[in-house]
Amino acid sequence: MDIDWITVSAQIINFLILVWLLKRFLYQPIISAMDQREQRIAEQIGEAEIRERKADEAAAQYHEKARMLELQRDEIMAETHRHAVQQKKQLLDEAREEVDEVREHWHRQVQLEKAEFLDDLRCQMSNVLQKIARNALTDLADEVLEERIIQAFLNQLTALDDESRQRLLHAADTSEPVRVISTFTLDTSTRRHITQMIHTHLKEGMVVEYDESPEWLCGVVLNVGEHQLGWNLAKYLEQLNEQFEQVLVTTATVSPSTSAKKLFSNDLHTKG
Amino acid sequence: MTINPDEMVFWQWGILSINATIVFTWLVMAVLTLISWLVTRRLTSGPDMSRWQNLLEVLVTGMRDQIKEISHQQPGKYLPFVGTLFLFIAMANLLNVVPGYMAPTGSLSTTTALAICVFVAVPLYGVMSEGPVSYLSHYIRPTVLMLPFNIIGEISRTIALAVRLYGNIMSGTVIVAILLSLTPYFFPVIMQLLGLLTGMIQAYIFAILAMVYIASATSTQAGHQ
Repeated sequence: MDIDWITVSAQIINFLILVWLLKRFLYQPIISAMDQREQRIAEQIGEAEIRERKADEAAAQYHEKARMLELQRDEIMAETHRHAVQQKKQLLDEAREEVDEVREHWHRQVQLEKAEFLDDLRCQMSNVLQKIARNALTDLADEVLEERIIQAFLNQLTALDDESRQRLLHAADTSEPVRVISTFTLDTSTRRHITQMIHTHLKEGMVVEYDESPEWLCGVVLNVGEHQLGWNLAKYLEQLNEQFEQVLVTTATVSPSTSAKKLFSNDLHTKG
Repeated sequence: MTINPDEMVFWQWGILSINATIVFTWLVMAVLTLISWLVTRRLTSGPDMSRWQNLLEVLVTGMRDQIKEISHQQPGKYLPFVGTLFLFIAMANLLNVVPGYMAPTGSLSTTTALAICVFVAVPLYGVMSEGPVSYLSHYIRPTVLMLPFNIIGEISRTIALAVRLYGNIMSGTVIVAILLSLTPYFFPVIMQLLGLLTGMIQAYIFAILAMVYIASATSTQAGHQ
């Protein structure tokens, strides 16, 4: 338990030297290295935060852009849809118009053909009837057909009732001379006889003019203004013509409409 | 058999002598300095570091944390002193496993020298931290009557520091010596291991107590902070 004071002082010096040595070679380098590392880590964390912030901003920008693109896409889609609907409607309208035109054209064609057919028929019928009537009259009697026609005309004039007579006289007041129109040539004695009969049954001293009109087919007619009196084959033919027309119209109104419907549906299928 | 390394003299000239205490102290100093120099020669501040650097960083960080925990102050100015106390005592005791080595801490001269260092360091740190008047006024608190007791307390705790370390280390050596004569072979090895543990604990206790004394001297300043 003795203390060597020289050793003690030497140990104190040794310890102080050791403190300096360790401070120089251990504590300072280690601490500075750790400080540098901490600083570097702090810098890296700072940089990472900056990068993260930038990345977040970039991501937000991209999200915004994507949203805008989506909106634009929706708008374009809506516009396209609207356009397509409009175009479809337009095409349908055009198709309908076209079908209407075709139907109208077809209808006109039918009407035209019908009119031509009726004209043709009327012409043929009148010829046939005239021929038949002529042959029949020739076969039935010895008088020629014109004489029978004139007789029929004179019979009508004789059998005229008061009301018709007054109407004819009233018409004759405004449009004298009266005209006797025949489809054949009347000889002078016949003309005189007719004039005399007119004077007798209508009015004495009435001026009478004679005229020929081959398009009336066959007959003799007294023309006073708008009123007519007499026998005329054309009248029968007109009646026949009207009946024909009625029959044709009844058959034509059924077939063209069904044909037009078929045409219209075919046209729609090909366009759709 | 020599128990006190002071008595093993290698060289003497007059009153100046170089005994085993001084020689083995130099050895411990050399080992510590060499290891520190070798490791800190190639320090890196990046994530890749050597195992030795990692070890030293753990050591230094642990000591700093302990100092901070006890003093509640920044450890920077206390680390060289307290840390060196711990490392020197720990290394001196650790080398006990080397045959022929005698721990310098087993000499009362060494422990006295370290205790004197603490004895001087405490008022030095106190004066540096608080100023001379404020520090010295601690001795007359709570009354002037307490001045002798405070001084006796300072001295007695210094002596206690020295004797505690000396007694523990020297006793380990003595026990091993006695056991060697009684039960050779295995049992002294176990005691040697126990001695290592005791040595580490003593190093920790010495350094912690030194830090506690310093912290108590500078606590007023720290309390103000």
